[in-house]
Amino acid sequence: MTSVPLSAPLPEDPPVSLWRDAWQRLVRNKLAVVGLAMVLILAFAAAFGPMLTPYDFLSQDLDARNLAPSLTHLFGTDDLGRDVFSRVLYGSRTAFLVAVVVTAIAVLIGTTLGAIAGFFGGFADRLIMWFTDMTMSVPNLLLVVVINASLKTPLSQWMEAQYLATLNPIFRETVWIDFILVFGSMALISWPPYARLVRAQVLSIRSRPYITAARALGLTNRIILTRYVVPNAIGPLIVSVSAGLGTAMVLESAFSFLGVGVNPPTPSWGNMISDGLRVWQHYPHLLAAPAIVLGLATVAFSFLGDGLNDALNPRGSK
Amino acid sequence: MTERLLEVKDLRIEIDTRRGPATIVDGINLHVDAGETLGIVGESGCGKSLTMLSLLRLLPNKIRVAGGSAAFQGSDLLKLSPRELRETRGGKIGFVFQDPMTSLNPVMRIGDQLSEPLIHHRGMSKADARKRAGELLRLVGIPGAEARLDAYPHELSGGMRQRVMIGIGLACEPDLLIADEPTTALDVTIQAQIVDLVKDLRKRLGMSVVWITHDLALIAGLADRICVLYAGTVVEDAPAEQLFAGPAHPYTRGLLASIPRMGGAETERLASIGGTPPEPGRRPPGCPFAPRCALAEDICRQVVPKLASMQGGSAAHRVACHVTSRALEAA
Repeated sequence: MTSVPLSAPLPEDPPVSLWRDAWQRLVRNKLAVVGLAMVLILAFAAAFGPMLTPYDFLSQDLDARNLAPSLTHLFGTDDLGRDVFSRVLYGSRTAFLVAVVVTAIAVLIGTTLGAIAGFFGGFADRLIMWFTDMTMSVPNLLLVVVINASLKTPLSQWMEAQYLATLNPIFRETVWIDFILVFGSMALISWPPYARLVRAQVLSIRSRPYITAARALGLTNRIILTRYVVPNAIGPLIVSVSAGLGTAMVLESAFSFLGVGVNPPTPSWGNMISDGLRVWQHYPHLLAAPAIVLGLATVAFSFLGDGLNDALNPRGSK
Repeated sequence: MTERLLEVKDLRIEIDTRRGPATIVDGINLHVDAGETLGIVGESGCGKSLTMLSLLRLLPNKIRVAGGSAAFQGSDLLKLSPRELRETRGGKIGFVFQDPMTSLNPVMRIGDQLSEPLIHHRGMSKADARKRAGELLRLVGIPGAEARLDAYPHELSGGMRQRVMIGIGLACEPDLLIADEPTTALDVTIQAQIVDLVKDLRKRLGMSVVWITHDLALIAGLADRICVLYAGTVVEDAPAEQLFAGPAHPYTRGLLASIPRMGGAETERLASIGGTPPEPGRRPPGCPFAPRCALAEDICRQVVPKLASMQGGSAAHRVACHVTSRALEAA
């Protein structure tokens, strides 16, 4: 061909998928990028934290107790001479683990129940929503304290018995008890908002023409639900999850502060804050370090959540 | 005699209102022969879409079938088990919806949407279904068919999306394609393209088509036979040429008269039918069209006219009117 006819199709734009489009809007939002960067740094610290400091988070140096921040100990040392920076780094691992696991369980429960309630309606809807409201009506802290107080002893006794019976060292690790109880009870109080959100989404999607069209194709309810309804409901869910990750970190800290969270010596920001609070007049850095990091983490997730909200709701943005 | 593919008898559809159930579709009788294109014409709210949706039990909440039957290939569509119903939907009867902008799943690539019925009805593997999806896109005339498989619906224009919808409806080579006002949301030029496409596909695939529309002019060249619906009843059922040549029901005459014509005086007013159709639940006792009909007599307000062949006319041309069928008889 020597000349380009006038009717030649214009060079096509690369297909812009919904997600790429959202991503482009996200990176244009400065706060969201800041939030994302902070979240990534946090994730990096959680993954590689222990390799970034020369100190073990457990090693005590009783000659160097309660030191103020310095070049050798960036955030100082605590009352047992442990390096606070190492403990904050390791705490980010705990915080991340709690946030991700708890949110994942809560989202799984919430999405499943909410989608079923919204899609099928009727009795299933009433039953699930009744259950959701009931869960929400129980004070969160009370529920977690009750679960921990009532299950911890039997569970450790059971583990001890299993260890004696099998001599399998897995049953020696009391950390599992913490994780099961703390994660389990936190997930138990965290799922209702997700269920409500997903139900509301599904209710509005259920009546859209493409759902009728999918029915007219003879697809089963399961396929319609998983391939047509839920993917369309997921935008607001992502936003909510991002904010929920921050909330879960704060929640874990609150529980640790009350003594029903992750148990010492595993460092968590919450139990560091709790310890630091007792001596903050004398050694403010012991309170400040974990508290500031927790604050920053929460802010990061909330920036990211806001950014995602704008990115995924093109109609909501300017 | 040609084979009956679908025969709907005495179909009644009701809606639950605060004052109790109200009838929307009142004893519709219609049939579709194998290989035939049936046009269903009527104004908004006359029950034409509901009639077709009810066949696949896709009626919205609070609207339900209150009686009647729909024989399709030896079984009653209205009494299928959930499993048979799933196999019929999409497998034996394809459905194309009115609004292509909202009838495709916005977060699914069109290739996957085309593959869906193939995987579930035909048990095809993903790779085979994708290949077939590409062929379908070519069949419905989408330029660069295979390259479009990974496109999302929002990347396509309305006409292209309606082509995709038709492709999905045809994926399993159904015996019957129901098109519910498939061109209403499209530009006029695109409308013509879609009509031509369906005409061409019907010829190639040998299926029957039910085309629902409120636009008589649009289906003039498409339908073999036309059913005119008014307020949930069939008022006239005739081969297309006969309907246009000699409309018998006053409502059909009104519809035809209200099509604007080229060459008329510019100051001429468009003909229209005065009044509005009766609300469901407030149907007049006699002929539903009587309150708006210029020819109405006493009998029209008391007795519901039955759909019957016109005496002296063709047996295929049936009309539900006391006055005009008699007038023709006298003539």
